[in-house]
Formats: sequence, C-alpha cells, structure tokens
Amino acid sequence: MTPAVSQVLADLAGRVARNAAPNIPAAERAGELGLSALLLGLAAEMWDGAAEILARENADLRALLGAGAKVWDEDSRRRWLHALAEGRDESLRLSALQSANGELKVALIALHAELERRDDPAAKALESEVWRALVAASDRRRLSGSPV
Amino acid sequence: MEEPELVQRLGAYAAARMPQAQGVAVTEIARITGGASRQTYRFTLVWTEGGETRRRGLILRRDPADSLIDTERRVEFEAYRAFHGTEVPVPEMLWLEEGDTALGSPFFVAEEIAGFQAGTGPLWTTPYLDSLPALGRRKWTILGQIARADPAALGLAAVLPATQADSVWLRELDHWEGVLDADETEPLPVIRAAVRWLRANPPPPAQKVAVVHGDYRTGNFLYDTEGQIHGVLDWEMCHLGDPLEDLGWSFNPVWSFGRGHPGGLLPRDEAIAAWEAASGLTAAPEALKWWELFACVKGQAIWVSSAKTWLDGANRDPILVYPAWALIDAQDRAALKVMGHL
Repeated sequence: MTPAVSQVLADLAGRVARNAAPNIPAAERAGELGLSALLLGLAAEMWDGAAEILARENADLRALLGAGAKVWDEDSRRRWLHALAEGRDESLRLSALQSANGELKVALIALHAELERRDDPAAKALESEVWRALVAASDRRRLSGSPV
Repeated sequence: MEEPELVQRLGAYAAARMPQAQGVAVTEIARITGGASRQTYRFTLVWTEGGETRRRGLILRRDPADSLIDTERRVEFEAYRAFHGTEVPVPEMLWLEEGDTALGSPFFVAEEIAGFQAGTGPLWTTPYLDSLPALGRRKWTILGQIARADPAALGLAAVLPATQADSVWLRELDHWEGVLDADETEPLPVIRAAVRWLRANPPPPAQKVAVVHGDYRTGNFLYDTEGQIHGVLDWEMCHLGDPLEDLGWSFNPVWSFGRGHPGGLLPRDEAIAAWEAASGLTAAPEALKWWELFACVKGQAIWVSSAKTWLDGANRDPILVYPAWALIDAQDRAALKVMGHL
C-alpha cells in the first residue's frame, strides 16, 4: 500500500474540504470527489486486513530466507539471509511492518535470482517454494475489484 | 492557473492563430477528469468570419506540473497528425505549443470528436453489451492497421527515434527496467523475476519496425453502440518498435476488466485473427508471450511511477494513487499468469 493509506486520507480530507467551496466548477468537483470516493472505498477494503497481510507475508518471507541460508554457498549471503530470517516484527504499526517487508523482499529477490541460476534439486525445490509464496502473497493482497 | 485566466489566455492564443477571425472567444470550458499524463479540457471556440458566427468544439491537452508519463507532446501531436485522414481514425490536430509563454506549460489543441464514449464504465451495460464482439473485432483490426502502416510514408520516421528490428526488445526492456529502478517505492519480486526471464529468453527479431501506439487498450478510443470506433486516443507513448508490443499490451490481463477476454471484448484467438488479417503479420505464440510479459513490466513501471510522482509531492492528483493501489498487485498477478504460475 504505497502511498500509505494514512498519507492519502490526509490529502483527501483537504481535497474534500476544498471542494465544499461554492466556486469550484461543477465538472471539476464531480471528478475530484468521484476519484476521492473511489480511493476511500479502496482504503476501506485494505485497511482492516493490512497489518495481518504484512505480518503473514513477513513470516513467510523469513521462512524462505531461512531455507535459503541453508542452500546458498556464499558465506556473506548466508549470514545476511540468516540474520533476516531470525528477525521478528517488534511493532505492528503498518509503517514498521512495511519497512521490514521491503527489507525482506530485497533479500528474496537476490535469493530468487540465485536459485534460478542453479540446477541442483535443493535449489529448484526452494525456487518452487518461492513461486508458491509469491502467489500466496498476491492472493492475500488481491482486492475484490481486481481485474486479475 | 485559475479557469478564468485559462479561458482568457487560450482565447488570445486562438485569436493570434486565426487572423481571418474576429471576436474569438473560448466558451463552455470543462476539465475532463481521468487523464494522469495530461490535463484535458473540452471547450467551444466561437468566432466571426465573413460576417458569420462560427463555433467549433475543441480539446485542449496541457502538461501538468508532473505527469505520469514523461513524453514530449510533439510525439503525441505528430502521431495524431500522421494518422489523420487514414483508415486509423484520430481527431484532427490544430495547434501545438511547446513553450510555456501562452498557457504556462506546453499544450496542443485538437478537434473534439463529440457524441461517443471513451471510458470503460458504460461498456459493460446496455446498450453497449451486444456490440462488444464487433467492437473487439474493430479494435484489433485498427491495431493491425497501425502495425501495417509505413512509418516513413506517414512522416513519423523523421519524428520518432530510429530502432532496429533485432534489438528493439532490448531498448524497450532497458528503458522500462530503468523506470522501475528509478521509481519503485518498494521491492517487486514478481516483476524483477519477469525482467530476468525476459532477458534470458529474448524474442525473435521484429517482423518489421512499425509504429507502436504504446497504450492501445480498451478505454483509449471513442466508441458507439454499434461497435464502431471513431477516434484512437492517447498517443503519448507512441514510438517505433515491434508491432507485437502493442498486441501484447492490449492482452495485458489488467485490461481484461475482470471479464475473462482480452480488453474485456473478444476471445484471444479472434483478437489475434483480426490483428493478423489487418496487419499482414503473424503473432507467433512464443514471441507474443514475450511481449505480453514485457507489457506486465511496462505496466508495473507506470504504476510505480504513479506512486512516486504522488509521493514526491509536486502533483497530488488522486488519479495518481488509483493505479498504485488498485493495479500494482493486479499487475503482479498478470505477470504470474503470463509466466504460468497462476
């Protein structure tokens, strides 16, 4: 959820207040308020589950990185993945969960590329797990009106 | 710029471009919402000529402070002008202004093709539902006609950057991966995997270097209840390239609107058949798959740029938030689907 819901809601509050003024052209007001309503609807749908989605995704990512630490040959990379896998979400603020999520995804991208490069069964099995996790994450984030 | 000032300055600009006219005035101006890369206004120009009062509905497309898609407005203007009067229906272009003096930012003025729909909302309701297959056939026929067109004969080879049939894929992929690198606000594991696959599995050379519209999708043309298309719009990403790029973009699953067919209009095989018949080209499955996955990368680059633009603060238009919230996960899902994981 980028931009963050809290930032967008603050902006929309100002925008709605501005459109309450009588001198705003009708077409412009209709367009701005229509879009604002659309975003408010999306925010309403995302808001309740946002923390759970991020917390579950972070747990899945840590599990994958922990498995990755066992198959990556390079020491520095193993230590990096291991340290991330041992982490936990100390705060349930969305901004903190999102920040951790970003850090974990950077490592996942590196791990994924390494697994693609290799042919051994352990790497291929873990690569399949990565794809399953990416699909599961996408399923959890899917909005009701998603075209896909 | 407030609307009264815009009306006054636009009227003065038009008057200077129409020395034969007297009493030139801009009336009935209204902003058309929804465009994230240009500010679009509908207005009526009224003037007197030869003792007779005349009126014409026109469109003003002006650059905002920070647009979603960074393009030169000359590209868009010249693309429209090139296809005007051909079998590809487009509105007539009148004036292009690339400086900031007249209206504070570059703009162009075009004829308004009035009386037709552009947005996708009405399409899925009566009286449009029955015409969806005809509209789909027309849509991909016109896309084939764009692919068949000769860029040099249209004058576009002199305007658009040249490219080579065997390397155009790399130029496009480099460009859009560069946009991702510059603008992504959070890591994107699915799309980065897609980029790696695209680099590892290059497509065959383009059958020809063609005009690529760049954003040919349902919603970017004017249509009626009979399945006819009266104007192809939004040429701001027009370039020379592989004609399969446009076909792949039109098949991007995010443009299916949840209706299961490409563009929400027509089964995939029928769309391909219409495109092949009109273009005289073939859509080889493996090559088309490459361009469909590329479309997912390009789409994601545009959506993350939208988020970045909003976060940078120069443009806080809510239209920039919509793709970031509604389409980033959907685009990931589209990429997963094209790669066979969903």
